[in-house]
Amino acid sequence: MNSRNAPVTAAVGGARPVRARHATSPRRRRRGSFVGVAALFLAPLLLIYAVYYLYAFGFLAKTSTTRSTLSFGDATDVGWENFRLVLTDEVFWRSVANNLLFAAVSIAVALTLGFFLAVVLSSGVRLRRFFYAVFLLPSLIPLSLFATVFGRMLETRDGAVNATLRTVGLGSLAQDWLGEEGPAYAALFVLLVYLIGLPIMYYTSDLATANTTILESALLDGANTRQMYRLILFPLLRNTHKTVILSVLLGSFRAFDVVFFSTKGDPGGRTGITGTYVYNAMLGEGRVGYASAAAVLVLVIALLVSLIHLLAQRRGR
Amino acid sequence: MNRSRLLRVLALTVAGVVGLGGLGACGDSGGVGGGKNADQATTKDGEKVTLRYWTWFPPEATLRATIAAFERDNPTIKIELRIFEAADYQKQLPLALNGGENLDVVGVQVSAMTNSVREQLRPVSEWEKNLPAGWHDKLAAGPVKQAETSAKDGKLYTIPMGSLGSAVMLYNAAMLADLGIAVPKTADELAAAAAKVRAAKPDVTPVVFSGEPYWQEEMLFTIAGQSSPTLSDDVFAGRKAWNSPEMVMALTQYKSLFDKGIVGTDVLSLKGGRPAELFTGGKAAFYVDGSWQSSMLSESYRKANKIELADVGAAAFPVVAGGKPAARAFAEGGLGIPKKSTHVAQAAKFVEYMTMGKGVDSWGKDLVLVPTAKSYTADGSVLTSKAARDGYAAITTVINTAGSARDSNQSFLNQVEGNAILDVLRGQSTPQAAADKLQAEWTSGRYTAK
Repeated sequence: MNSRNAPVTAAVGGARPVRARHATSPRRRRRGSFVGVAALFLAPLLLIYAVYYLYAFGFLAKTSTTRSTLSFGDATDVGWENFRLVLTDEVFWRSVANNLLFAAVSIAVALTLGFFLAVVLSSGVRLRRFFYAVFLLPSLIPLSLFATVFGRMLETRDGAVNATLRTVGLGSLAQDWLGEEGPAYAALFVLLVYLIGLPIMYYTSDLATANTTILESALLDGANTRQMYRLILFPLLRNTHKTVILSVLLGSFRAFDVVFFSTKGDPGGRTGITGTYVYNAMLGEGRVGYASAAAVLVLVIALLVSLIHLLAQRRGR
Repeated sequence: MNRSRLLRVLALTVAGVVGLGGLGACGDSGGVGGGKNADQATTKDGEKVTLRYWTWFPPEATLRATIAAFERDNPTIKIELRIFEAADYQKQLPLALNGGENLDVVGVQVSAMTNSVREQLRPVSEWEKNLPAGWHDKLAAGPVKQAETSAKDGKLYTIPMGSLGSAVMLYNAAMLADLGIAVPKTADELAAAAAKVRAAKPDVTPVVFSGEPYWQEEMLFTIAGQSSPTLSDDVFAGRKAWNSPEMVMALTQYKSLFDKGIVGTDVLSLKGGRPAELFTGGKAAFYVDGSWQSSMLSESYRKANKIELADVGAAAFPVVAGGKPAARAFAEGGLGIPKKSTHVAQAAKFVEYMTMGKGVDSWGKDLVLVPTAKSYTADGSVLTSKAARDGYAAITTVINTAGSARDSNQSFLNQVEGNAILDVLRGQSTPQAAADKLQAEWTSGRYTAK
């Protein structure tokens, strides 16, 4: 809701203005022709995109019903057996649960800390560019590199995290970060917090186009800072929240490098996610079908999660 | 075009593509079952032939030097080399061969890759006529047999360059000499040595090895092999259960290294190249890894790689609870000739040079593999200290007398086995509970044995 002419009530989540419907107005006809032109330009790209993804998915689906090696030459049909085996594997379900947990943490951090930092940075704070660089850098450098460095920092004896704690007299807080479940999850959560650069960017770009008259009105009405955040700014960026939630949620299914290069699933594979599960399933002889079945199931789960999110959005309107 | 019409067009497009995708997926998925042997190219006398050679081993500098020597001896053959990272190669080669890539010689990780590429390779029996008569006698029988039995159909597809074994123990010979520590032969002696190192050098970790899941199997079966030499083979072949008394004993004995204070659980947080980094940086006294780290015994290798250790030795891993030193070993660096090769005679000449000819002396200096060629003797200029010579002899002995093959089920190892062992070491599971879990997963159908 970025129109400068929009009523304030809309900006704070009130009733939406009712638009008159004109079934066959000239304006609608004009828009229809624009859509046609747009479709014409989009069609080749859409076709390539669809072939690329759908063929790949078809191939994956077919392979998932076989037992084969990477040569694909000695494939034997096993029907739904691979799916049954994946679905009865507790490690698989744990990886799915971890995916959703990490997504939930990332979303919570993005909607709170990310939002807060974006607003603060947009308000003209000093050293703004420096702070932008600090928060955006982890999201802009290759994740594998970032996670590798982070994983190295978690080493028990010589890792930077424990060394720092000992140096500042907090040696009692030093942990076997990769050897115990609680610390390993905590370490990954910290890593996810570091990756809020993109949500900050989304919020910042939307704040730049926000209707400032609403904020001025709120100030004139005597709103304090807390009220400005809670009642004005947060609802004002509702569409950005949706974008952030969906991108972070689906991004969690592609977070293979974050986990693989930091904890590697330690301790005992308990912090593994679907990406690391499929990767490990691929290793070894004759495992391509099983890994394909796992990948198909992960894709279905990701689509279901997206669908639930979209339905929840519709109901929230 | 109104919106509903546009949607119909898009829906039809997508439906068409889905159909294409389905057709594509239902068609030939690249599996061609190996195909036929390519016809041989005819070459005039003196005409130069280029052989395309893909491999991951040995290191590039060594390979280039060996290839240059081969080309000098064989001026009509040129080798076009492409070298890969080991893990990447396991995926790249099967896909390339299956996709019709014209290669003449390929390196094959014998245990890990034979069955994923054998359909695209010519059995050795088809091209052994191009090898010297009695070529079998030039090679140690064990590794050749392992290469043969690693294939599901029991045929020999590659000739192994050598063998690898693990686990073995490298040590900082200069540090041990300074502290008056003798090379430990038992776990108790290793415990005493570790205590001495800790007391004298608090910043040094006495014993390091990888904390990654894959390495735990190597440690477990090395220790198990000291009293049950064939346990690894028996378990992977299904002759013994994962929760057999021997396996529970092996888990208990491995855990005892931690209980005795020889190794701390902090070592289990070391990943990737960190254990080697600590050892080569003088921050660890003992480094347990595979025989592929034997290069560190070479003074020239250490100098070339800026490793500032005055002297390095090696030994079999100390005996934990009776028995004798052990390691698992397996043929490695198999060289095969793909069906697509149109220069089989020249390719066979190159394979001969690398596996039983002069090439062995060239790449053997790296000490990474114990060569299969019977004629090979370690170069005296490489092993310049007594610790290095004794170390290389100890590694060679333990590999040549290995009771079990260095075999594995990679998926099972990475998803279940390694983590179950780590849970025991960290005290998060008992040896019996871990063994029961391993057996339950092994028989779940998810991890089909070879």
